[in-house]
Amino acid sequence: MYLGIDVGGTHTDAVALDETGIKAQVKVKTDQSDLLASVNQALREILRTVKPDGVLQLNLSTTLSTNAIVQGTTEDVGMLVIPGPGISAHEFMLCRDYHVLPGAIDHRGTETDRLDEAKARAAIDACRASGVRVFGCVGKFSTRNPLHENTLRQSLGPSGGQGPDYVTLGHELGGRLNFPRRLATAYFNCAVWRVFNAFADAVEKSLAELGLGHVRVNTLKADGGTFPLSQARRMPVQSIFSGPAASVMGIIALCDITRDSVILDIGGTTTDIAVFVDGQPLVENDGINIGSHPTLVRALKVRSIGIGGDSAINVLGEAVRVGPNRLGPSLADSVPAGAALPAGARPTLIDALNVTGACAHGNVEASRAGLAEFAARHSIKPDMLAGQAVAAAAEAIYASTQELLAEINDKPVYTIHELLEGRRVAPGRVYLMGGPAAAMKEAVRQRFELFTVVPEHFGVANAIGAALTRNTASLELFADTEKGVMFIPALRHRENVPRTYSLKDAERDAMNHMLAHLSEMGVFADRDNAQVTHASSFNMVDEGRTTGKNIRVKCQIKPGVAFTLNGQPAVPPGGRVAGHSLKLATGQLADKAGERG
Amino acid sequence: MHGAKHSLGIILFPAFDWSISPTHPEREERLLYTQDQLKEEGLFDIEGVDEHKPGVAGREDVERAHFCFPEVESVATRSHLVAAGGTITAADLVMTGRHKRAFALVRPPGHHAMKVVQGSRGFCNINTEAVMIEHLREKYGVKRIAVVDTDCHHGDGTQDIYWHDPDVLFISLHQDGRTLYPGSGFPTECGGPGALGRTVNIPLPPGTGDEGYLAVMERIVLPILKDFAPEIVVNSAGQDNHFTDPITNMNLTAQGYARMTELLKPDIAVLEGGYAIQGALPYVNLGIALSLAGLDYTGVREPAFDAVKHRQRPDLADYIDRLCDTIPNVYFHPPTEHKDGFVTRQETGEWFVRHKNIYYDTDDITEAQTEELFLCGSCRGLLKIVSRTTKNPACLGIEVPIGACDACRSLGYSIYEEAQVKEGYRFAQFINRRDKEYQRHGF
Ligand SMILES: [Zn+2]
Ligand SMILES: [Zn+2]
Repeated sequence: MYLGIDVGGTHTDAVALDETGIKAQVKVKTDQSDLLASVNQALREILRTVKPDGVLQLNLSTTLSTNAIVQGTTEDVGMLVIPGPGISAHEFMLCRDYHVLPGAIDHRGTETDRLDEAKARAAIDACRASGVRVFGCVGKFSTRNPLHENTLRQSLGPSGGQGPDYVTLGHELGGRLNFPRRLATAYFNCAVWRVFNAFADAVEKSLAELGLGHVRVNTLKADGGTFPLSQARRMPVQSIFSGPAASVMGIIALCDITRDSVILDIGGTTTDIAVFVDGQPLVENDGINIGSHPTLVRALKVRSIGIGGDSAINVLGEAVRVGPNRLGPSLADSVPAGAALPAGARPTLIDALNVTGACAHGNVEASRAGLAEFAARHSIKPDMLAGQAVAAAAEAIYASTQELLAEINDKPVYTIHELLEGRRVAPGRVYLMGGPAAAMKEAVRQRFELFTVVPEHFGVANAIGAALTRNTASLELFADTEKGVMFIPALRHRENVPRTYSLKDAERDAMNHMLAHLSEMGVFADRDNAQVTHASSFNMVDEGRTTGKNIRVKCQIKPGVAFTLNGQPAVPPGGRVAGHSLKLATGQLADKAGERG
Repeated sequence: MHGAKHSLGIILFPAFDWSISPTHPEREERLLYTQDQLKEEGLFDIEGVDEHKPGVAGREDVERAHFCFPEVESVATRSHLVAAGGTITAADLVMTGRHKRAFALVRPPGHHAMKVVQGSRGFCNINTEAVMIEHLREKYGVKRIAVVDTDCHHGDGTQDIYWHDPDVLFISLHQDGRTLYPGSGFPTECGGPGALGRTVNIPLPPGTGDEGYLAVMERIVLPILKDFAPEIVVNSAGQDNHFTDPITNMNLTAQGYARMTELLKPDIAVLEGGYAIQGALPYVNLGIALSLAGLDYTGVREPAFDAVKHRQRPDLADYIDRLCDTIPNVYFHPPTEHKDGFVTRQETGEWFVRHKNIYYDTDDITEAQTEELFLCGSCRGLLKIVSRTTKNPACLGIEVPIGACDACRSLGYSIYEEAQVKEGYRFAQFINRRDKEYQRHGF
């Protein structure tokens, strides 16, 4: 039995399922001030139907790290920064204890300026004096040569006691190039480290108390994968913004998506738009933004717009609009049956859908009355206003989807082959989920003029996605045969290689190291789900002579689900399921178009 | 991070699957470290700085700038068409208002490619700037354009293409032709009879550093630009004037280049040469990009930089000072006589004739060319070129210019038709810019 819990902004959804179908599902209100309570409540509800012994795994998607950042409950971080030449590191001042140190590594990993160790010690002392316990050490091009970051780690001394409680080294975050993102990612990783670990401790304690102590616990990431809780304790920043990914993975579990498609998750306040290429979700090229800071945290490519069931209807001159400001909840949800409308009641998209007859949600009478009153204020017929509001919502979602597609198709490429052969993404289907999904189906179908699907269980697709999402991992390998070095930053693995080291050797090493690392963490990863996503080798030439090869390889365990639930009828009360079909998921190239080059 | 003061579109196309030969300076590795540096700096995360995919130039895009013999497809590989397409994209980004400025970081380069293309010269087949300029005119009706070529080599190709064009001001700063390929670019080369003073050559002594370049920029280039008042300023931003460049002898630094860009304020910069791919290009390109975007570039410094070692030799200052005094005259008081050709009287009227011998060093082709310009009083005049090479027998190119008068237009048609009847030419190309008509003959 697999458990999936998605702690969202408003609701916490949980499901228990196995290959034969969904065994239990619950929805509880999220208590933002006590997420653990929401998790515990969801677990207790699930355990009414499901026996603890049969549970193998719990996958958890939480907003914990996000909340800590938004609410400012993070801790002070000491940042030791070695920018070398280029854009001034003062541009990226993330926190009070931010120390810029002399030293430089260049693009090939050559040390071009020694690290000033005396200044580094002084910076560390200054941080300690102001009570800092966690540190980020980040250098430009540390993914090519971690020398300076490693030296700083040594200077900080062993963890615990007098030493730091936790240290993030920039190159551990992966081999991708982007110094400002590396800085921000290391900073946030440190900033949420303590709060995340306290939460992880509490969850493990609860699980033991509920008889679930034996369960394997994974945390969801934004890239459509999970990682073990033990790993999340080291890299909590990776658990950020996993909600949209849970929903997208849910759709994979519920539908057989094989071609280019658009996925729309219409929620209360926002609609998340994702794009699938050849049936696989696209991964964001760079990484998500935390606040205004771009990071290296990999994520599925998801665009959010401020339109949802609770978005208020506006009339501006002749134009009817929905959102982006939320003034909900809808009248259908907020006005008790038989009660009078509050003064100045503002109808929302859900109310409009109630009036057009697309759904009959909550207090339909309140929707009608509210819309009539609002329409009269703007001298429009209520039916017309409702119809125009629904159409406007569909239009806004459509326009945003087109923008996203244009962005995907305009992504830069770096070889003539890719430029001339590059295929364009052209969705043929739309999949809808989230609360108002069924009600919005017709309006979306009309605007997109595409086959539109609303899968069953669309209301808990997020929790299903959470439960079934597999482990993912990715790493980058960099080799320079002139220097005779191979380096995998994420694993802090560096070894000497002969001059004959080839691209093939590098691809093999990258894959083997990734799989070995996963198995060390106790994760079973099918070799078939591992793939090389980028491989390039450049001859380096000096004075007309080839001096070596500059090799770059990226590989990943592609996102996917443990199995899919197809063609199932809705769960009857009591949770018994019949007539299911089971199909083992076949993951494919996840970032085929999303991460070329 | 501050946002860009001037929004900047960058077309970065390193052509990672194309080279002239595996160890040639123009090889796959050339922009690898530049790309690494720009990515590591997070340049494309800066608000207002975006990376764009290049377009691919079509046959007619090229034919607006060149006579290609036997045809475009045989002298330009796909990588040349992408590099030219990248400059077109740069122009579109600026003209549509998407960005204030654009930087086409594309390869291979183009500024040695002349009006007639029979092969590759100085690593160039297609003049990427010229393709872009003709696109600016054709699509957006831009009239006055200035090209400032800061590559270390004389931009002889661009000079040749715009020799007779009074609406394109071409200024080239380069290492003195007596000491470097292609051996041209002297102040006496100042344009054809209808465009005297619209070609300005500034040959600089070997060893010229930041100080000299900036003096030339302030005292020669900027005053001329101010007077010419172009609608668009293009910078052919070759970086082989860097102090580490393996094939030249100048002393410019990344800081110097960035400052020069800040003074010049080009709307569009296009990469040309530059072969110190590890020690110079990553830093110079970063400096140019930051400077174009109006961002602080003072932290950009190449590892080999040494303030004492790379200061300009004091004795060069006097020499450059004299250049600054005299060269503005080329533009402000151009000679009235032209020395590179002669006028002949034919039954159609007066023609200006130039004979040229051109060597395509990269492809080892020798070309003998006769260029004739009809000296029309009412338009820029019909252009006729006959080209012979070791590879191709006589080829004919005829161009009816933008804004041609009726007489030049019909004269062009009659010469082209006559050439087809007489079959004296193996290949013939007819470009009518007035009516956007492009014809080829002999295939
Ligand atoms: Zn050059
Ligand atoms: Zn005329």
